[in-house]
Amino acid sequence: MLKKLQLKKHALTAISYMLPLVVAAGLLIAVGNLTGGSVVADYTEAYSIPDALVSLGVLGMGLLAPVIAAGIAYSIADRPGIAPGLFMGLIANSIGAGFLGGMLGGYLVGYFINWLKKNVKVPKWAEGLMPMMILPMVSTTVIGLLMYFVIGVPIVAATNALTAFLMNMQGASRFVFGSIMGGMAAFDFGGPVNKTASLFADGLLLEGVLEPEAVKILASMVPPFGVTLSWVFSRIFGKKIYSSREIENIKVAFPMGITMITEGVIPIAAVDPLRVIFSCTVGAAIGGGLSMMWGIGSPVPSGGMFIVPAMNHPLKFVIALGIGSLITGILLFVLKKEPVEQEEFLEEEEEEFDMSAVEIS
Amino acid sequence: MKIVAVAACTSGIAHTYIAKEKLLKAAEAAGHEIKVETQGTVGAENELTKSDVAQADVVIIAADIKISGQDRFKNKKVIEIPTNVVIKSPKGFIARVEELLKG
Repeated sequence: MLKKLQLKKHALTAISYMLPLVVAAGLLIAVGNLTGGSVVADYTEAYSIPDALVSLGVLGMGLLAPVIAAGIAYSIADRPGIAPGLFMGLIANSIGAGFLGGMLGGYLVGYFINWLKKNVKVPKWAEGLMPMMILPMVSTTVIGLLMYFVIGVPIVAATNALTAFLMNMQGASRFVFGSIMGGMAAFDFGGPVNKTASLFADGLLLEGVLEPEAVKILASMVPPFGVTLSWVFSRIFGKKIYSSREIENIKVAFPMGITMITEGVIPIAAVDPLRVIFSCTVGAAIGGGLSMMWGIGSPVPSGGMFIVPAMNHPLKFVIALGIGSLITGILLFVLKKEPVEQEEFLEEEEEEFDMSAVEIS
Repeated sequence: MKIVAVAACTSGIAHTYIAKEKLLKAAEAAGHEIKVETQGTVGAENELTKSDVAQADVVIIAADIKISGQDRFKNKKVIEIPTNVVIKSPKGFIARVEELLKG
């Protein structure tokens, strides 16, 4: 049953639509902030280009919940899901249920539309009205009211409780929280676990909690930087740990890392997953813990090194990032074995995979 | 046999293309004809044409997310799997596809 619902696939679909939005909005806020802009409160007064950039970025952030809700509903119910999904996101924004509310609204409205499609039979002449009027109108009304009066309440309470909990954390518990976030964000190099941590951090950002966002940014950059450092070590100390093909990959992964794209490390991790994942996760966990403990916060969710100046403690961030990357680098340098030069990408050993679940659908 | 495939992942910048490469190599090594459409963040590339789909013996969808244009494959044999299956075990997967089509 659960498998049939494919909750994860729907969330991932929505995230894939949301990512460019987060990046663009984040960079707009960062560039605007750095050039001295602030949010335009009154458009009848004069405002500058930096002010306009920040305001645009903030508007973009406001689209997060609607886009995630619409993405989820679209993934579930196809096109008829988009419009009602946008509505659910707007409700989540306005009642303060944020990101979680948007996701839940997206799921509910998506499944409800599917149910309507199946169970509401209209005469032939009214078929055109189904996608155009009946589905969006009925689903938005029913799930919308449910969001306002029933589901919104516990979600708002949960969001507030979580926010208060994070705000009040001290010392060691902050370190632990930061390590978990950091470890998760680095664990699969931009895959679903990373996206879960990011989603959580982005949600908290909307509630005004800035620290997890800094952890996420740090942890996304530790793997590429750590891998690069380990290669530098291997050059300095003359211990060969990468094949020439891997070195080519590192040269690509590093610049990608500067812009906070972790995916460049995947080809390197694919060759030796255990050691690479372990080293990256440990480095990111320690860096993330430090970042959280030192109270480093980022008002911007994405952008890599370019948005560091927009953080509250840019220097401390760089130190935490440096420590995390150094740990990853040293671990890799120590753990990695001499590589076998591979001619063919495909010659990697195949993992055992239970293929019996693969069926023609 | 003739295979058409669609690859798509969450961020649409890495796994999508790794999955494509793995599928291509594994299928060609096993002597099949294959064409892979990628649906990354930039949009669809190497798009499957109507005749590609019409001639295909099987459609492979290696995706972590909902792909666009699923309705193109109505009445075809469709195998849906997450990208990590073809990334981790491309040869094993192709072998399984052969098995499924035979039986």
